[in-house]
Amino acid sequence: MSHVETSSGVDVRGVRPVELVDCDVHAQATEAMLAKYLSARARRMLERYGRRTPRVTEWYPRARNAGMRVDAWPGKPGQIWGSDPETMRAQLLDEFGIDYAVLEVLSGQDCYDDPDFAAEWNSAVNDWQLDEWLGFDSRLRGTIAVPHEYPELAVAEIERRAGDERFVAVLLPASAAEPLGARKYWPIYEAATGNGRPVAFHTGGYVDHRGAGYPSFYLDYHVGNGIVMQTQLTNMVSGGMFEAVPGLRVVLTECGVAWAAALIWSLDAAWELMREDHPRLQRRPSEYIRDHVWFTTQPIEEPDDPQHLVWAIEQAGLGDRLLFATDYPHWDFDSPKQALPRALEAPLRRAILCENALELYGLPSERPV
Amino acid sequence: MRVVVAPLSGFPDGERRIVEVSGRSIGVFRVGESFYGIRNRCPHQGGPLCLGHVLGDAVADAPGGAAIVTDPLRIACPWHGWEYDLDSGQSFMGGSMAGVRSYGAGVELGGSLLETATARPAQRVPGPYVAETFDVSVEDEYVVLHA
Amino acid sequence: MTDVIDCDVHCAPESYDALFPYLSDYWRQYITEAGIRLNGVAHAYPRGVVAPAPPSYEALAEHVPDLAILNCVTGFETHRNPYFAAAVASAINDWVRDEFLARDSRLRASVVVSTISTDDAVSEIERVGEDPRFVQVLLPVRSDLPWGHKNNHAMFAAARDAGLQIGLHAWGRAGKAPTPSGFTTTYLEDYLGNQPIAQAQVLSFVSEGVFERFPDLRVVVSECGFAWLAPLLWRFDKDWKGVWREVPWVKRRPSEYVHEHFLFTTAPAHLSGDPAAIDQVLEMLDGPGILVYASDYPHDHGDGLPALMDRLSEEQRHELMSGTAAKLYRMTG
Repeated sequence: MSHVETSSGVDVRGVRPVELVDCDVHAQATEAMLAKYLSARARRMLERYGRRTPRVTEWYPRARNAGMRVDAWPGKPGQIWGSDPETMRAQLLDEFGIDYAVLEVLSGQDCYDDPDFAAEWNSAVNDWQLDEWLGFDSRLRGTIAVPHEYPELAVAEIERRAGDERFVAVLLPASAAEPLGARKYWPIYEAATGNGRPVAFHTGGYVDHRGAGYPSFYLDYHVGNGIVMQTQLTNMVSGGMFEAVPGLRVVLTECGVAWAAALIWSLDAAWELMREDHPRLQRRPSEYIRDHVWFTTQPIEEPDDPQHLVWAIEQAGLGDRLLFATDYPHWDFDSPKQALPRALEAPLRRAILCENALELYGLPSERPV
Repeated sequence: MRVVVAPLSGFPDGERRIVEVSGRSIGVFRVGESFYGIRNRCPHQGGPLCLGHVLGDAVADAPGGAAIVTDPLRIACPWHGWEYDLDSGQSFMGGSMAGVRSYGAGVELGGSLLETATARPAQRVPGPYVAETFDVSVEDEYVVLHA
Repeated sequence: MTDVIDCDVHCAPESYDALFPYLSDYWRQYITEAGIRLNGVAHAYPRGVVAPAPPSYEALAEHVPDLAILNCVTGFETHRNPYFAAAVASAINDWVRDEFLARDSRLRASVVVSTISTDDAVSEIERVGEDPRFVQVLLPVRSDLPWGHKNNHAMFAAARDAGLQIGLHAWGRAGKAPTPSGFTTTYLEDYLGNQPIAQAQVLSFVSEGVFERFPDLRVVVSECGFAWLAPLLWRFDKDWKGVWREVPWVKRRPSEYVHEHFLFTTAPAHLSGDPAAIDQVLEMLDGPGILVYASDYPHDHGDGLPALMDRLSEEQRHELMSGTAAKLYRMTG
């Protein structure tokens, strides 16, 4: 039976207004779950050599609960955290009354195996979403995983999946071989935009640590997820991709939000000093960010004074650009009931919890129960 | 309210039981001959605290020299890992006394901003988050929760 | 009464000729044979857009307020031969001493050290650190390993013993791509890149327990901005609460260590044009006490500083312009 909320009644049409959209949920596949979609050649490569890309969890072990919510372990044979749709439905969708959840399956993000394998692996991710998730529950939406270092192959995968509107975005990692604003990746952004999808850049991928050097601890690495995205956003703006792909919308995912204002001010100040040397940039950086950039909220920053977070959001003009996310089943999961500070007033809260996402992803504001 | 959780013989060392009492979920833990009762709800974001790992404290006098001490025991929330003393429910990730951070207007110019403003605590600083704890007793070979 | 202490003023030799008197025959021959030329840290301060740092006392003199701290970042451009790096660092310190410190009692300086050998950094600190005109050890934000790493702790011990602070300054070796993924292609990105890199260094000093081992050490982050600090600390504190077991020697919230041990120069002051937002940033920083004035002469970062100063009380302005630095560097008069 459907879950009936006392706050919003079910009307005779059998629909309810949407109130909560979760913009970053991790369905996590085991290798076996994806391998069954591979060609014989690719499966043989996997069996003989394993994945050739080192797992980042080996460099920076997740020092708390192996990086997951302990209670998200399904306890079913062959299943891991986030791999079982029934567990996710109960623990996340039903528990919190989530109306839509956007799945971001990260298995293909750090795929630096050979190009053909990378293409197949990412395609397997998308097949897996279709077979196991998107048909399982009408609240679920998917993102198109692509072999991002091979733009032609990535574009082909986007074209292959774009016809299914349950895929609401194209998924890339927050770190790659080149900065994300590099021209190499522009064909991917063009294909995404041409097919009406935003591009979600999710924390992770191949994170190198040039600049300050490799930190010793997962703590630094984890806080560093926000730092990485600052560098990437700088590159996105200065490299001109928002001029090159005018309709492009990007979602900076799982990297925090509170750092945006200071970066925006720095970008504008630097552009004032150097604008003559960047003729491709027709507008101020803050204007590009205003028009093209969204942020998911998790892991939401928690200053001692919650009002400071509200200020940080206002300073960056992000009120209509923030997208609520839980990051289920990871350990730093944000509870929809508790994570946003009470200092957020109702209209801003509503925008973050659902309205901004409905608009960005073109989701219906009512859904059948 | 006294609630019988289990016969003592049926509650081995190292195990836990989670019981519902008047709409509250409470975890009862056995460590050696001691029993602890703590609310199954993390004060941070409401996670199921009692599903988390029970850990001895990790103590280090200097970088790299860390050891585990089994008293006090802490329970770590299965979500964000925030920890609470199993006995008292107190968390220890708090801020120091107010005034350490007040470096702006209002600080007297005579007092050096740069002297160590407070004595460095040898232990961690209690924090504002405290999990609700409950007494647990053993009566006539039964484990009894007082909730 | 000191009204203005400028915590970051640049100087730099025009060429290796200026350093030759302080280098051995061997290094003079090496430099000549290899055709090594000082580029004036061209990667960091391209000649086309940034005025060159004054190469002599005469060129600098009129820009010196009551007290100024000289940072010569020429050493940031030395290459990877550790013996050369050590020799050049010593030569720079001797040159700064003779050319500047000896000629004006208003001047202080950072000790330039090798950034690729802790032993050599220790040696140089021991060699010149007792001279009270050297007030801090100059480190670039760009490094092979974050500065908090245990490999560097002997250097912090030497600094402590010599009564020196740490000056963590923008830029570093040009050979390293400054980003977490890939190479930048424009100066704009490189220029702004100092800020995220400085953030990573702040994390490292705390997580590696530098301030537990060296409780009197302070770090002045120079030419890397400061408006980014508060949100970083919110995240740092929150993440620490979850994974503190990885760094159990960090006994207090990271933000407390940062507020006690870090100061930030006012360059660049990249802030909102809205005075209310500036007030908010100051409150998020727990007030302006964490800031110290720097002209960063001859570098120009725009005109953000007056708007910030405008929001301060007279007392706060005094602290920012000189009071805090005077206590930090134990300067009198």
